[in-house]
Amino acid sequence: MQEQVHTVSNSTTSRRHFIDLLLGASILGWLASIAYPVIRYLKPLPQTGATGPTRLTREETAKLEQDQFIIVPVSGQRVIVLQSQDQKLLAFSAKCTHEGCTVTYLPGQSVIWCPCHDGRYDLSGRVLSGPPPKPLPEYAVRRQPDGGIVISEERA
Amino acid sequence: MQSGGSRMEGLSFLKNEPDKNGAEPGRGLLGWVDRRYQVTPLLEFMRHKQVPLGSHWMGWYYLGGITMFFFIVQVVTGVLLLMYFQPGEATAYESIHFLTTKVPFGWLIRSVHSWSAHLMIISLTLHMFSTMMLKAYRPPRELTWVSGYLLFLITLGFGFSGYLLPWNKLAYFATTVGTNIVRSVPFLGDWLLLVLRGGQDVTINTLYRFFAAHVVILPLAFVGIISLHLLFIQRQGMAPPISAKVAPRGMKFFPSFALRDVLLWLACLMLLVTLAVFLPYGPGIPGMDWELGSKADAMAPAYAGIKPEWYFLWEYQLLKEFPPHLFGLEGPQVCLFLIAILLGIWAIIPWLDRRAARNKPSPAFSDFGWAAILFLVYLTLMGWDIGATGAGNDMSLVQRSARVCAWWTLAAGVVMIAFRSWWFEHRWFVLTGAALLQIALHGLMGISYLLAGAISAGLAIIVIAASYFMTSRPNETGTT
Ligand code: FES
Repeated sequence: MQEQVHTVSNSTTSRRHFIDLLLGASILGWLASIAYPVIRYLKPLPQTGATGPTRLTREETAKLEQDQFIIVPVSGQRVIVLQSQDQKLLAFSAKCTHEGCTVTYLPGQSVIWCPCHDGRYDLSGRVLSGPPPKPLPEYAVRRQPDGGIVISEERA
Repeated sequence: MQSGGSRMEGLSFLKNEPDKNGAEPGRGLLGWVDRRYQVTPLLEFMRHKQVPLGSHWMGWYYLGGITMFFFIVQVVTGVLLLMYFQPGEATAYESIHFLTTKVPFGWLIRSVHSWSAHLMIISLTLHMFSTMMLKAYRPPRELTWVSGYLLFLITLGFGFSGYLLPWNKLAYFATTVGTNIVRSVPFLGDWLLLVLRGGQDVTINTLYRFFAAHVVILPLAFVGIISLHLLFIQRQGMAPPISAKVAPRGMKFFPSFALRDVLLWLACLMLLVTLAVFLPYGPGIPGMDWELGSKADAMAPAYAGIKPEWYFLWEYQLLKEFPPHLFGLEGPQVCLFLIAILLGIWAIIPWLDRRAARNKPSPAFSDFGWAAILFLVYLTLMGWDIGATGAGNDMSLVQRSARVCAWWTLAAGVVMIAFRSWWFEHRWFVLTGAALLQIALHGLMGISYLLAGAISAGLAIIVIAASYFMTSRPNETGTT
């Protein structure tokens, strides 16, 4: 008798345990089925837009001549195009590798400068000083026979 | 000791009390409400509510109320601003411009909103530090501390998200840098960044998300948590001074304390309006300036002197002090990790401070609070100063700035120690000492900030360990 009671209660506990488990799992599943659409909803779609090489407009070229640099979008990325002192055209990602500020060009010092935390890069994109951890990726820039300037993603 | 209900004359609406037999509630509106909702116990509770008077200055008790006052101002002015603000690429900046230039008193509403935001952060910070110094967080009030801490974080979130809404250049870069920091979160970083910005970069989509956060998500969270915070305080009363030998004297909450509260709120309103009218675009110090400037432009370079709001300056400066790489990780990653640890410690102070939990003075934790102030002040001063002025600066300019900031902070630290030992009779200054040592090593001797920090922290640990082993045998008498 004693033993039988024991088995009964034991099997009840395990059954209860099993049902608890089932319940817990279904609550989790239920929550996940709510959370998943919300999470997907919040994650933005990949940016679409012009890809491929970018050709500077007339105004942009004029601005480049005047300021020695200009920032333009290339495949959805900010790119700084600059004219070095020996009139060479160079292009780099304009996004500082530190915290992503937009860099600028200091023609007098031949330095690409990020004002946000005073990061400095040389004209091959390497870090000269300041907190940026990586060099600026370089873009290819070409002057076409008709004088147009084209920037493209493939490495120079 | 307590003067009973004789001081209720000031509150005429409470005159209609239930009769003393407690049988039948009174007549009139109060009676009508009471018969339905039994509010008498609540009124009784309020009537007996007391604010403990003790060894410390009462002023600290008002800071929470003042913070709440500024929050209410934020809600009211925020709703007013909402009636003109139009989020959108072609409208966000334009609508704020219209608001401040064309709408009658639009400038004033915006100015009050901005001023009140800054004043709210100031009073909230003071409130938090005074709670810390008075050890009001000790059991059973741990959750009051935690909820207040969450309110502090939410308030910073308000500041950060509101900053972007005018869609001007400054906001654009501040948001770029500020959001980029989450990229350093392990595993989730990239996903978080996308969700926060609504894309790879800061775009108008970011503004939509920040707008939703600023006007709906954060206010709801704030109201929810502050309700808890106030409920906790109502249930437990305010913390009596630590190790009070005699039962603390009390001041009646109604009407004595409440009227003082109201008076102070009026004073705050006067201050707020005066500032808003005479300095509608802020005092003009970097980080406390809301001149609209020019519109955000993703293709414009950042410019010199870009700074976040003053209450984020310490973080901004800390980010600058980290080298590109450290321990095989990227500098910003380690920096974020350090900040997370510091904020984490701050959150769980009630559980760390074992001595205060036993209602004993805990000088080490007082000192921790004071050292935290020095740490923040030094970084903030450096962030303010000007390391980044002019394109042509060299290292010496940064060093010069560090030296000036170090002298100021050291002077403040010495005054602080003198004041504490004289006024509060503090005798434990290890952490303050370590903070000052770091400042001296960095600012005056030119050792790198992190190395200076490591040296000072190491020394502090040695001193604490030594004193612990020396005093633990005679059983903790020496540390008070
Ligand atoms: S974002 Fe460029 S240096 Fe920090």
